[in-house]
Amino acid sequence: MSYRLGCDIGGTFTDFVAVDDATGKMHVFKCLTTPRDPSEAVEHGVRELAKRVPGMLEGLDEVIHGTTLVINAIIERKGSRTALVTTRGFGDTLELGREKRYDTYDIFSEYAPPLVPRPLRLEADERIAANGRVLRALDPAHAAALVRRVKALDAESLAVCFINSFENPAHELLFKEIAAREAPALSVSISYDVLPQIREFERTSTTVANAYVKPLTGRYLAKLEERLKDLRFRGKLYIMLSSGGITSVKTAQESPVRVIESGPTAAVISAEYYGRMLGIEDLFAYDMGGTTAKSCLIQKGRAGKVTTFEVGRVQRFKKGSGIPIQVPVVDLMEIGAGGGSIARLNKLGLFQVGPDSAGAEPGPACYGRGGREPTVTDADLVLGYLDPHYFLGGELKLDKAAAEAAILERVARPMNMGLIETAWGIHDVINETMAAAAKTHIAEKGGNPRTVTIAAFGGAGPVHACGLAHKLKAPRILVPPVAGVGSALGFFTAPIAYEVVRSRKMRHASADFAELEKMFREMEAIGRGIVEQEGRGEVVCERSIDMRLVGQGCECTVPVPAGDFSTFGREKVRALFDEVYGRLFGRTYPEAPLEYVTFSTVVRLPTRALRLPRLSGTAGADASVAVKGTRRAYSPRQRGYATYTVYDRYRLPPGAKLAGPAIIEERESTTVVDEDATALVEEHGFLFIEMKLVQ
Amino acid sequence: MNRERKFDPITLDILWRRLISIVDEADAAVYRTSFSSLIRDAHDYTNAFFDRHGRELCEGSMVTPGQLGALSLGVKSICTRYPEEAFRPGDILVSNDPWLLAGHLNDVGVISPIFFKGRLAGFTACVFHHTDIGGRHGADNREVYEEGVFIPLMKLCDAGVMNESLLQMLRANVRKPDDVIGDLRSQIAANHVCAQKVVEMMEETGLESLDELADEIIGRTERSMRQAVEAIPDGDYRYEGVIEGQGKRADIKIRLAVHVSGSDVTVDFAGTDPQVGWGVNTVYNFTYSYVNFAFKSALNPEIPNNYGSTLAVKVKAPEGSVVNCTYPAAVAHRTHVGHALTEMVYLALAEALPERVLAECGRAAGNTVVYGTRHNGERFLAMDLRAMGMGASYRSDGVHCFHFPSNASNTPCEILEGDTPFIVEKRAILDDTGGAGRHRGGLGQEIVWRIPDDEYAPRPPVTVVNVMGRFRYAAKGLFGGREGAKSIYQINGVDSDWGGQNLCKPGDVIRFCTPGGGGYGDPLERDEAAVRIDVLNGYVSAARAQSEYGVVIDPKTGEIDGEATRRLRERLKRPAAK
Repeated sequence: MSYRLGCDIGGTFTDFVAVDDATGKMHVFKCLTTPRDPSEAVEHGVRELAKRVPGMLEGLDEVIHGTTLVINAIIERKGSRTALVTTRGFGDTLELGREKRYDTYDIFSEYAPPLVPRPLRLEADERIAANGRVLRALDPAHAAALVRRVKALDAESLAVCFINSFENPAHELLFKEIAAREAPALSVSISYDVLPQIREFERTSTTVANAYVKPLTGRYLAKLEERLKDLRFRGKLYIMLSSGGITSVKTAQESPVRVIESGPTAAVISAEYYGRMLGIEDLFAYDMGGTTAKSCLIQKGRAGKVTTFEVGRVQRFKKGSGIPIQVPVVDLMEIGAGGGSIARLNKLGLFQVGPDSAGAEPGPACYGRGGREPTVTDADLVLGYLDPHYFLGGELKLDKAAAEAAILERVARPMNMGLIETAWGIHDVINETMAAAAKTHIAEKGGNPRTVTIAAFGGAGPVHACGLAHKLKAPRILVPPVAGVGSALGFFTAPIAYEVVRSRKMRHASADFAELEKMFREMEAIGRGIVEQEGRGEVVCERSIDMRLVGQGCECTVPVPAGDFSTFGREKVRALFDEVYGRLFGRTYPEAPLEYVTFSTVVRLPTRALRLPRLSGTAGADASVAVKGTRRAYSPRQRGYATYTVYDRYRLPPGAKLAGPAIIEERESTTVVDEDATALVEEHGFLFIEMKLVQ
Repeated sequence: MNRERKFDPITLDILWRRLISIVDEADAAVYRTSFSSLIRDAHDYTNAFFDRHGRELCEGSMVTPGQLGALSLGVKSICTRYPEEAFRPGDILVSNDPWLLAGHLNDVGVISPIFFKGRLAGFTACVFHHTDIGGRHGADNREVYEEGVFIPLMKLCDAGVMNESLLQMLRANVRKPDDVIGDLRSQIAANHVCAQKVVEMMEETGLESLDELADEIIGRTERSMRQAVEAIPDGDYRYEGVIEGQGKRADIKIRLAVHVSGSDVTVDFAGTDPQVGWGVNTVYNFTYSYVNFAFKSALNPEIPNNYGSTLAVKVKAPEGSVVNCTYPAAVAHRTHVGHALTEMVYLALAEALPERVLAECGRAAGNTVVYGTRHNGERFLAMDLRAMGMGASYRSDGVHCFHFPSNASNTPCEILEGDTPFIVEKRAILDDTGGAGRHRGGLGQEIVWRIPDDEYAPRPPVTVVNVMGRFRYAAKGLFGGREGAKSIYQINGVDSDWGGQNLCKPGDVIRFCTPGGGGYGDPLERDEAAVRIDVLNGYVSAARAQSEYGVVIDPKTGEIDGEATRRLRERLKRPAAK
């Protein structure tokens, strides 16, 4: 028996999927996240699954893990107290940023405050020049004194970013060594390790973000390994990278900033996979959990990737209003909209839902764990979309009276509004928030919301998908099997890959192609050494060179075909560049001198296919066999409660059709089908919801 | 004729957003293909898209308002001058005529007609600020002839054939020919990306022409702008401001009157000083841009900008005045005057719209060109734009260190150090520079550069041309707010002349302190907790917290001394105490 386990920790819930590789059978579990020690929930889940699936623990080859803890810590500003040491004269670089107003016409724009405030920013006497020469050496005694000051400031983590360190890292490396000696308990991130790239603000910002979440991530992953060891797990533990690949625990502990979007990325990867499987090219992957909603447009079967992104945009989802982080990441958009998003009246007396979340502790008022503030989940319960006795399959009893009380006391009465009206307001405002963000994201990618299929994931995703589709005028929704833990399933479709990158600037005209072939082979050997330890199968290597015209500041990635590079003619390589450049920019300039900047080799193991089992019910049977009963739930069209038919998702037969208004329940999620919509059950259990568009 | 509505609001919204994202893609192409750091890093360029009549339909999200408005007038005027048949597929136009386009020779416009199914569908255009366009750098030139190469409107590419003679001519006249030609090619690339995506959009959506879409976008925008203008009470709002002269040159007086009548505004500069014999004259296009920007930003910032935003506002400027100069006036540093116009309009409107405008900004924080020869004989040349404190407003404190109204970015120190032999010793927020007020003005910054004198020292002399202002006139506060700090420009610790050429040598240290923004409202009404946070962050010293805000902070605990503060604030409020 051979099993794989995917496990995704969200801000509110921890999701599990175990797959039996021989049969494709899936076993699912979901429980509340344990914020103080998130590995506790992981252990709990693994134990629960092991109880249900005899032999799973013994046959477990790998655990693939993703978490939104890292990004949530930044969005909610719950990371470590972090200090920053910069070159003298550059303590304010983090705060000055690029000095660009992100909205030219809005003179009242607000800006995200830096993660490290001024009193925690120190300056070191040291200086490296642009060509790497030392202008002022770093005195070890001075460095040690600075480390002691960092300790005195009660900082748990330290970021170090010196000017021109990407050219000569000696001072940063020395500082790191001294910090390790002077303050062994202090977590240290140096910019040379995190992002050895030119441009001091982006490098500082990324390094600071890394430092801000490093202690939390390190503690957590160490604990997780320990717990898995205690459970006698002997396979490999992988962490999902924001870029869509997976990596080792050690790498993730050193560079938590690279796993920042690891949870959300899994949903995107699985949506890509389902798109291929079902032949749908344009999907809008939408994952709404307890704390945030993440989405990504998949075009022609592929999700975009970017090398820089922002966390925690402060204004209207506008580019430039968040904290920039430069790491490769799937092109996601994330906003503070989830089941736990809190509804309240803000300082100006305006009604506001999110971005603050009640998380798992205390959680929504209806969880009965001490939460007093009304959340989206409380509203969904009051509106009848959720069954208080069948949340997480009944494992978590929801307290409807507590939800009503919270909504009434905190928002309805102060606004002089009724309970139901206010609950619908909470539900609708959060949909509007997500729709506005989605429209911007889709338009930015040149997509059209009216032709995309929304793939809904997460516990709250299928509850709000119809509302979102209405606002976007999207024609169709896809709810995958086990959508409530869909993100965890995505881990199995991620490839094991390792990218080896070398930066060596050289002119095309004088480059030694035989030397380059040697370098490519060395890089491949390193990559093979890593991936072959991690899995089996035929290794694929892909080479590329980032090239630019001499004088430009940005490169074009030019894929290099397989084969001995030393046998390639200079003209052939030049033609490869000119082809890429001409395609992108319309015209190319073969006479303009060309240079190589970065060489890259990706070594990849084949993706192990995920075999989804077919539904067991009789094809063509009527959906009525799955009816559990009816429930009064809110109908926006009728501005009041209406009767919804409630279905048991596990009993829906393949090919069945059902019409809204309906509620389809499964343990980890609930799908609301509008009165204007119809749902069709696909043979593997996917639900296709066709919207009737009202203009 | 009964005007049929072709687009439902949702289709319109999708197409409109898509056009904007197309121009943003063109904008990103510039980042990827440009050569000079002023373009790539400081973002001193603007991309926009026009209909076939030359009406601006949309622009990149990160435009520079001065270039944008001026480019828009330029494209409109080209369309008025030439019939549609004058343009052929594969044509690319170029010009840096300051009077046709963006007001100085460095701003080179590249304009490409877009054809769909053989018919003219629109234009894509961009303006780049080329760091060097030949000539003599400085604000102290007398005529435009001294300021560089003048390219009248001509074809850079004629039905697909590049004008190599023009490129050779340019190469021979500029200090860094590879940068200039490389950036021109980047302009061509940006236009290509925009044109290609617009054609794709038309193919996918089945639009045969953009005329109706343009009418809809422009019409809706005009209506929303006019609605916003109607909120201003009818009347005449006047303002007279002064912009400081360089060295011993006279100050420049700007007089303006804003006439509001219903949904129409006229801004009239009658009474403004005549054009001057140094390089800060503003062409009409540039004046028009920053006046329009003032209305757009104060009244209707959330609607994407286009031709429709400008229709409610008329700008009248006497010919031959400093805000509508005539050929061959020197214009290289027209920002010295032009950037002041936005806030002068704000100030004229301040009594009528106290909640919509800013106190004076640090502005005129300056731009500096440096050039010379490295130790190994290589030429270097770079330009740095500096940020300043913005003025406070009814709603909030002024933000620190931004480029207003232009909206450029800084050049990272590491990029500047790669482009030149200079060492940046410091770039920091400058404490105690924001004007005090109920809302505090934004802080300026201090920048220190050193020319190395080791084995990498450049060959002397190194030319430094620094143009900035607010040495004599600080940014004033509004409604009881105080003024921000003034500028400082020093070489080796000595105040230096600005605007001309400073010849420097290895070992020299150059220091810039940029001005702070004005405060808004009485500082004694500022929230005590906000003052305390400013003190903890070092933005305001404890001494100033007492003298200007009347807030006493205990130096040991960092907490507010409530009783002492109450007494001090009471005393400061009594006029007798002054």
